[in-house]
Amino acid sequence: MIKKTFKIPDMTCSNCAMKLESLEDILDGVKEINASYHRLEMVIEYDNSKLTDEQIITAVRKKGYTAIAQ
Amino acid sequence: MSSNKQNPSVDPVIVIALGIALMAIAFALLVFKPNVQSLTLTAGSGAWSQLVVAFVTGITTGGLSCLAVQGGLLASSLAHQIEQDYIEQAAINKKAKQKTLKHTNTAFPILLFLIAKLVAYTLLGALLGWLGSFLTLSPMTRAILMIAIGIFMIGNALRMFNVHPIFRYFSIEPPKFITRYIRRTAKGTDTVTPLFLGALTVFIPCGITQAMMATALGSGSILMGAALMFAFVLGTSPVFFIIAYLTTELGARLEKFFMRFVALVVLILGFTTLNSGLNVLGSPLSFQNLTRNLISSNSDSVPVSESPQPSATDSSIFLSVKNDGYFPRTLSAPADKALTLNLVTNQTYSCARDFVIPSLNVYQLLPDTGTMQVSIPAQPKGTTLFFTCSMGMYTGQIVFQ
Repeated sequence: MIKKTFKIPDMTCSNCAMKLESLEDILDGVKEINASYHRLEMVIEYDNSKLTDEQIITAVRKKGYTAIAQ
Repeated sequence: MSSNKQNPSVDPVIVIALGIALMAIAFALLVFKPNVQSLTLTAGSGAWSQLVVAFVTGITTGGLSCLAVQGGLLASSLAHQIEQDYIEQAAINKKAKQKTLKHTNTAFPILLFLIAKLVAYTLLGALLGWLGSFLTLSPMTRAILMIAIGIFMIGNALRMFNVHPIFRYFSIEPPKFITRYIRRTAKGTDTVTPLFLGALTVFIPCGITQAMMATALGSGSILMGAALMFAFVLGTSPVFFIIAYLTTELGARLEKFFMRFVALVVLILGFTTLNSGLNVLGSPLSFQNLTRNLISSNSDSVPVSESPQPSATDSSIFLSVKNDGYFPRTLSAPADKALTLNLVTNQTYSCARDFVIPSLNVYQLLPDTGTMQVSIPAQPKGTTLFFTCSMGMYTGQIVFQ
């Protein structure tokens, strides 16, 4: 399990954070996602043997946002 | 994983046109409804007009703003219905060997969602009003509350305009355990889900709703707090219903357009509320008090001896309190002399009846018709006493010379 932070510069409200956290239920290998509108970031704890950065970025894009790995 | 989205087949122009039509209705309501005083909500007189304003705020901006924040939740609560309808229809089509697809029956869950939301927010309004009743709402307290609400609204508008990252802190983020709980409940498959999720929207209010909640708190009354939230959420419901029904989620492009519009309205409301608060505080920095001397002509200032009231004397001044404010707006009075201010009402029903001189701590509810006297202690030359209604809408001043 690793913990990684992604910048999400195009969040516009706290509901965006909620939308991003719903990726917990979609992506395999994710333990926890904490997204913050205040900080415009998403901290994701996941199993890197099951999930790659690219897959996360793609999933975030499908939600309508841009993820930039930190 | 089933999709939570219905692809919108509606032209955005139609949705925008609908918004404009609703705006037109709202303006018509404002124009043709007597005694609608302004877009400022506080406790005090004119309860009916406050409710109308709350409703109009809901129907114009609240619905769009709430939809942007809570639309995802509504879409989630509809997802099961959409999926269920699709499966049922697919089964029917398979039997009948048809390829047509019946329109998804989303109207009923949307209705349930909105009813639950309405009930939940009304109860929340009652609770806020009850909590507010413990606050002693002197004009000073009310002024401070109005200023705080104004700053909150301006901050939220600037956040929506993306002016500076600091303004993001004006958005209240619900605790994680609540958002997680809501999200997990949204995946429920029982028919009670839309009802339950509608009620849960109280935990993710949009910026305008938060401002309205602050107003309900400021009302200091269970009934008024509940009525304010009821009127506001009722106002948001048609917009919510129509747009949610047409497109369960706003497209990103459309959402940005609406957000700009909502931000502008919130900004205007925020400045109006802040300005009213400054008026109630008796601050010379309010818009009216700053500009009165710049734009007023000499005819606006009426010295005691030239007062239009026939019984005016050296030690008594008259102020006409009308539905649309105080006349004259500037009174001149002799310095170093105690005065009696006669406040004359004649079928006055607006909030102008709640007369306040903040610096003297004078707060007087006037009869709708009659004369009430207020004693003004001697004031040194050059003093300006600002007076206002309790909502900070109608203002004026007494200049001591």
